Amino acid sequence: MNDRTQDQILLEVDAISLSFGGVHALTDVSFDIRKGEVRSIIGPNGAGKSSMLNVINGFYHPQQGTITYQGQKRRQMKPHEAARGGIARTFQNIALFRGMSTLDNIMTGRNTQMNKGLFWQALHIGPARREEIENREFVEHVIDFLEIQAIRKTPVGKLPYGLQKRVELGRALAAEPTLLLLDEPMAGMNLEEKEDMSRFILETNEEFGTTIALIEHDMGVVMDISDRVVVLDYGRKIADGTPEQVRADQSVIDAYLGISHD
Amino acid sequence: MAFDLFLLEVVISGLMTGVMYALVALGFVLIFKASGIFNFAQGVLALFAALALYDFLSEDGWFFGLFGFTLPVWLAIPATAAIMILLAWIIERSVLRFLVKQDQIILFMATIGLAFVLEGLGDLLFGSDVKPLNIGIPQGASDWALDTFNLYIEKLEIVAAATAAILVIILAIFFQKTRIGRALRAVADDHQAALSVGVSLDKIWVIVWSVSGIVALVAGIMWGSKSGVQFSLSLIALKALPVLILGGFTSVPGAIVGGLIIGVGEKVAEVYLGPFVGGALENWFAYMLALAFLLFRPQGLFGERIIERV
Amino acid sequence: MFYRENGQFKSSYKADQAIFPIAQDRWFVIAVVLAAFLAVPPFIDQYWANAVILPFLVYALAGLGLNILTGYCGQVSLGTGGFMAVGAYASFKLVSLFPELNFLIVLLLSGFITAGVGMIFGLPSLRIKGFYLAVATLAAQFFLVWMFNKVGWFYDYSPTGMITVRPVEFFGVLVTGPEAGSAAKYLFTLSIVIVMALAAKNIVRGRIGRAWMAIRDMDIAAELIGIKPLMAKLTAFAVSSFYIGVAGALYFSIYLGAVEPVEAFDINRSFYVLFIIIIGGLGSVLGSFLGAAFIVLVPILLKNVMVGGMGMASGTAGHVEILLMGVLIIFFLIVEPHGLARLWQIAKEKLRLWPFPH
Repeated sequence: MNDRTQDQILLEVDAISLSFGGVHALTDVSFDIRKGEVRSIIGPNGAGKSSMLNVINGFYHPQQGTITYQGQKRRQMKPHEAARGGIARTFQNIALFRGMSTLDNIMTGRNTQMNKGLFWQALHIGPARREEIENREFVEHVIDFLEIQAIRKTPVGKLPYGLQKRVELGRALAAEPTLLLLDEPMAGMNLEEKEDMSRFILETNEEFGTTIALIEHDMGVVMDISDRVVVLDYGRKIADGTPEQVRADQSVIDAYLGISHD
Repeated sequence: MAFDLFLLEVVISGLMTGVMYALVALGFVLIFKASGIFNFAQGVLALFAALALYDFLSEDGWFFGLFGFTLPVWLAIPATAAIMILLAWIIERSVLRFLVKQDQIILFMATIGLAFVLEGLGDLLFGSDVKPLNIGIPQGASDWALDTFNLYIEKLEIVAAATAAILVIILAIFFQKTRIGRALRAVADDHQAALSVGVSLDKIWVIVWSVSGIVALVAGIMWGSKSGVQFSLSLIALKALPVLILGGFTSVPGAIVGGLIIGVGEKVAEVYLGPFVGGALENWFAYMLALAFLLFRPQGLFGERIIERV
Repeated sequence: MFYRENGQFKSSYKADQAIFPIAQDRWFVIAVVLAAFLAVPPFIDQYWANAVILPFLVYALAGLGLNILTGYCGQVSLGTGGFMAVGAYASFKLVSLFPELNFLIVLLLSGFITAGVGMIFGLPSLRIKGFYLAVATLAAQFFLVWMFNKVGWFYDYSPTGMITVRPVEFFGVLVTGPEAGSAAKYLFTLSIVIVMALAAKNIVRGRIGRAWMAIRDMDIAAELIGIKPLMAKLTAFAVSSFYIGVAGALYFSIYLGAVEPVEAFDINRSFYVLFIIIIGGLGSVLGSFLGAAFIVLVPILLKNVMVGGMGMASGTAGHVEILLMGVLIIFFLIVEPHGLARLWQIAKEKLRLWPFPH
């Protein structure tokens, strides 16, 4: 929980509807995310949670509805605008660049902060090298924070699943995001890994003030670290409030009945 | 009146060439549909098939040298088909099975390597001179067309068109209605998933490459009868690419339609635009057409729309 | 034992990011470069230059260019031959129109012109990927070769359609044409290739190289973290075409001296360079050199063995060569898709432990 101004709204999605052909991924979904909070999006499989993140990111364009980010209202987000506007994310199925090392992957997260042109890059000595070293220093902070120093130079394809997820978080953090979208960051992790991940998420939120939108299936984690929760089912919003409110909501319980979770 | 007739002849000539392209493109579609591999060697397969067929039929072939007699056409064709099936099996065992998990681009480049191997082998075994292929397809212009419509159409091309039509119908039925056809479509979608439900990848691939080999044989017969069996046959493979772009990589009817459009387009452009730019438009027109198409409809006329997921 | 890095601790990011962080590597490369500049020229003769060394350098440069586009950025291109033609014809026309222009400038301009053409044909890459892009580059390939064949202005209306290089001097030393000395040609080409290789290495290990690799590995994720696909891909096409254009200009001016477009720059050339980077290693600067060496030397070796040693007819030898090339491609793709560069890396790993087995 964060004591900074909770009232400022960072992102608001309004009446978002998204479909692919005949499949309605999202129908008339509206909620907001306040600055500095940890907002969880939960719901049974196929509820449209990842699609929602993809809409915020600009990867999917909704047929209806608007997205208001940092006061600016849009019909749809462009991926580039989202990235430059400080939105970073991790992906459900890990979208790391397999041909590169951990360090290089996280360095790509700094791409929006680096701009020395082709000529300087070819020369290397001079402005390009200085820029590279400056950004390398920042990335090393991220690496320290996530405790992944030992695997810096390892090609990410060789890393175990849990570490890959951590590297992906590192890449997102490297961009110094205002809004961090996390898509099931703890999927497939054991208890110890989950505790580490929760710690990283909370520290990111508390120390750097990063607003976090989180998709997660582990109810224990959700209830522990979220400020507020929104629940989706079959593409519609069925509940929205604090963890306690949502936990007690009958429609949420109904939606989850019959679906096991750990 | 004469002008219209000329245009019609050009168009029909283009359609006929288009049918020939389509035959080769069909082979591509089959393999791509079932394995996601873009088989660059398809053209060389057609050449190889034609060379093998010639060998069975003629007295300066290995077969005659070994056994002292040549095969009649009705035996030679099945014999060549058998060779193509054997070849498919060899390719699966020595190349494909080792590349199952690799990216598409690696597989594509492997087929380029395969094309080179088959080309070198073909040259070594059968020699690189042009060979006439005569299996009894009627040659010369169709008298009927000449008399009835005053149009010059070659009998060979009519036979080719009819063959292509029959082939398409057979293949369409094969894919839609049979168990093997369904398995092929599963494999094309996702190798790993298909493996996990018990589809035997090796068998499927041998089947597909065999069918493709037989299609290549038909294409080789048609092209070989028309212009003799020669190396340039393998370059047809490159022409098939624009055909596939237009028709969609996974569509059997698309290969036909694409082939026809490219065939007509090329011919018309060559005849009507060619004189202004010095000729030989056919070298690149098909690709530019395909390029233009790609920019507006990347999946082709009949292909499946690609939806990306993250 | 000789190759251990013990004691070589890096205390700055600058040191860690060096091209050759291990001291033994650095010394080795410096030795090779010095040998190339000092030890080779006295011994070089026309046969070696024309049969082995010049083609090696030129193909290494072309391979570098294609590797940037296909190996690092993942954009398949079958148009290398066509782009080499652009570089060659550009250099021809430039010398023809401005005979007093410094030859280095001619080469650089040829590169820039090719970069421009490359970017135009690269525009479709924004909408299409994979094989579809290969088709677009095929369009470039066939169109360009056709154009250089048909449009008389390009070959100064020569009746044979061929272009022949004029003798050009570089600071007083003849580097092109039949009178130019092998050592001069060699040193000139070597210098250019080394400088460009260094530039390429610098680009690919920096921000732009990472953007390219990101696009190659997962272009959707790349876009979502803020990499602009348009800029990255067009830059890849531009830089790649620049390199290929200079390679084409050198191919014509210094290596061959006279070319005719269909023979010299057709689709087979494109395949040739593609094979160089597959065998050498996709996404590797070293790989481009190793692949070029392989592709230039193996046919010579084969020819010597088959025609010289086994008495085969040279036509037959040619067929066997094609066959063997195909087999080698397949072999490499199965056994080591990352090519000779990876094998080299593995050899170095083993060397670190030597003389211990593990």
